[in-house]
Amino acid sequence: MADTATSTAPAQEKEPFFGKKERRLLTDPLNDNNPITVQILGVCSALAVTTMVYPSVVMAIAVTFVTAFSNLTTSAVRNFIPKEVRMIVQLVIIAVLVTVVELTLKAFNYQIWKQLSVFIGLIITNCIVMGRLEAFAMANKPWRSFLDGIGNGLGYSGILIILGVIREIFGRGTLFAGSPLEIDIIGAGEKFMINTTAPGSWFSWYSNNGLMVLPASALLIIGVIIWIQRSSNKKLVDIS
Amino acid sequence: MEIVNILIKSAFIENMILSYFLGMCSFLAVSKSVKTAFGLGMAVIFVQVITIPVNWLINFYLLGENGIFGIDLTFLRFILFIATIAAMVQLVEMFVEKVSPSLYNALGIFLPLITVNCAILGGSLFMVAREYDFPSAVAYGFGSGTGWALAIIAMAAIREKMRYSNVPAGLRGLGMAFILTGLMGIGFMSLMGIDPKALMSLP
Amino acid sequence: MESNSYVLKFTLVMTVIAALILSGMFYATKPTADKNEAVFTKRAILSAVESQLGKDLASLSDDEVLQVFDQQMEQVTLNMKGEAVEGIQAEKVDMAKEKKKPEAERVLPLFIYKGQDGKKYYILSVRGSGLWDEIWGNIALAEDLNTVVGASFDHKGETPGLGGEIKDNPGWKAQFKDKHLFDASGKFTSINVRKGGAVDKEREVDSISGATITSVGVSEMLLRGIGYYLPYFEKLRAQGGATGMQTESE
Repeated sequence: MADTATSTAPAQEKEPFFGKKERRLLTDPLNDNNPITVQILGVCSALAVTTMVYPSVVMAIAVTFVTAFSNLTTSAVRNFIPKEVRMIVQLVIIAVLVTVVELTLKAFNYQIWKQLSVFIGLIITNCIVMGRLEAFAMANKPWRSFLDGIGNGLGYSGILIILGVIREIFGRGTLFAGSPLEIDIIGAGEKFMINTTAPGSWFSWYSNNGLMVLPASALLIIGVIIWIQRSSNKKLVDIS
Repeated sequence: MEIVNILIKSAFIENMILSYFLGMCSFLAVSKSVKTAFGLGMAVIFVQVITIPVNWLINFYLLGENGIFGIDLTFLRFILFIATIAAMVQLVEMFVEKVSPSLYNALGIFLPLITVNCAILGGSLFMVAREYDFPSAVAYGFGSGTGWALAIIAMAAIREKMRYSNVPAGLRGLGMAFILTGLMGIGFMSLMGIDPKALMSLP
Repeated sequence: MESNSYVLKFTLVMTVIAALILSGMFYATKPTADKNEAVFTKRAILSAVESQLGKDLASLSDDEVLQVFDQQMEQVTLNMKGEAVEGIQAEKVDMAKEKKKPEAERVLPLFIYKGQDGKKYYILSVRGSGLWDEIWGNIALAEDLNTVVGASFDHKGETPGLGGEIKDNPGWKAQFKDKHLFDASGKFTSINVRKGGAVDKEREVDSISGATITSVGVSEMLLRGIGYYLPYFEKLRAQGGATGMQTESE
């Protein structure tokens, strides 16, 4: 791990502000180098919050914020950090940012703060954040590190939101429940778009899938997402 | 009574990995062989048993309004908890190196990596959120560590056998590991019916 | 290798900066966060009398919630003998801490809501255990201290979609409306959550399928929790404060 930190990026003559390379920093983590499905980083903390879309979105924003700004800060001070206390310094930067996120949520959206509870704190040990600091921010300039943080945050958010959508629709028949955008899609009652109890309804056989609200379903769905991704992208297949 | 309840609940029912997904990174990375999985499992139990009670003391005596500073310092909780964990892992590392060099070599890189294992910080944060008292915190540390170790050892055993199975190309490795973990989680749910009170009253 | 003094200086500077940022943030957001917390618990209490508010609780702004609480809510703190205790505001009573005390030393919060029609509604707080962890709720009674006007529940860690339905399923909570706590002879029966569907329509509600232990927990919590308030009810009735069973029992 120590070598990644000391090796610096090869000096470039003139860096464009937002060229091809910068764009790849943002788009690579979305598919080819997705933090969850390819790098296996950061699966930990957030999956328990994906039973509904709204908390997933808030969590996604929080993680993207923390990866982006911790990358930026670490990269900015990377030449001053003493090697011996590198890990602790990184942890402190992350912990400060996560506390900022927590205090902000508590002040502006108390209900979602209640719902996410300890999982906000767990962003600290989310391996993506630490992983990107070690692998990228310690060796690259601030602006590019910032983009890398955003890219990885978005790659992570993508999976989180896909999970949230699938689990909420099939588990509860709603979307964005708990937020002002709430849509009731399918269920027993007048307020749902497809009312399963309406006389003559085609969907009278339908009921919410209880498995989807259980934690295990998140793992099954990620397994299937990985399967689909690797079937369409052969270079990711595990040959071992 | 309460203690037994917490032990059973944290080890089996609210398993750190299988119902909260905590510590998934090392769980997936280290579960390829039973031997290393066992070593890491033991290390996690050890660190949990130390850090959760220590963090309990910090939370109660330093951060709370009843603590020695007398003001609400809870906004420093994340920093202090993670610092404690990092320091404790360091201590454990030095201790293991002195006492048993063979175990130290077997654990290798995974020992320092326990610092960023979500299960450790998660344990401390759950301990605060659930307002455990000190004995319960110790029991919770032991129970949650044991649950984590059990899950990773079981997973490693299954993955060792999986090598002989014909898995579809796209699902090989990581994909299968996720699905296996999910199925194990559903399996563990059947332990939900355990009633610790009834268990204690058995003759 | 940096010298030790540099490492020390760096750590010191970093700690000071981190502490400054965080304490600044903390004290800047504290008033809002505290207000949010108060609104959150007050909303939970009000949701038990939602049918009497004349408005959807969700449509009330945070300030309106606080206003309703200030103007229409009388707070009484009771001891286990049913006597009012001075010096503790009911909204400050921490049910979780009370539950850990020996029974005789506990205090109970009681909120009396004065509706637009001038009627009083009594809101009781109860706390018990579900499958995983604690569950709690607020039960609103009409002036006769017998008819339930509404209930709200919350939980710490019940399974979402199963035990969690006590909080999330409005249809389940709605069952409590117009149920009675006392039988025709005036004996306290509480409200029972019955597996397989309510038999006694006056005093029972249906359980949640798949959440037997949570449902049993709710029954137990109601029987014991409302039971704590019985001495106070006796006192009220003795004073003629409540119109009693005679008028209402059919």
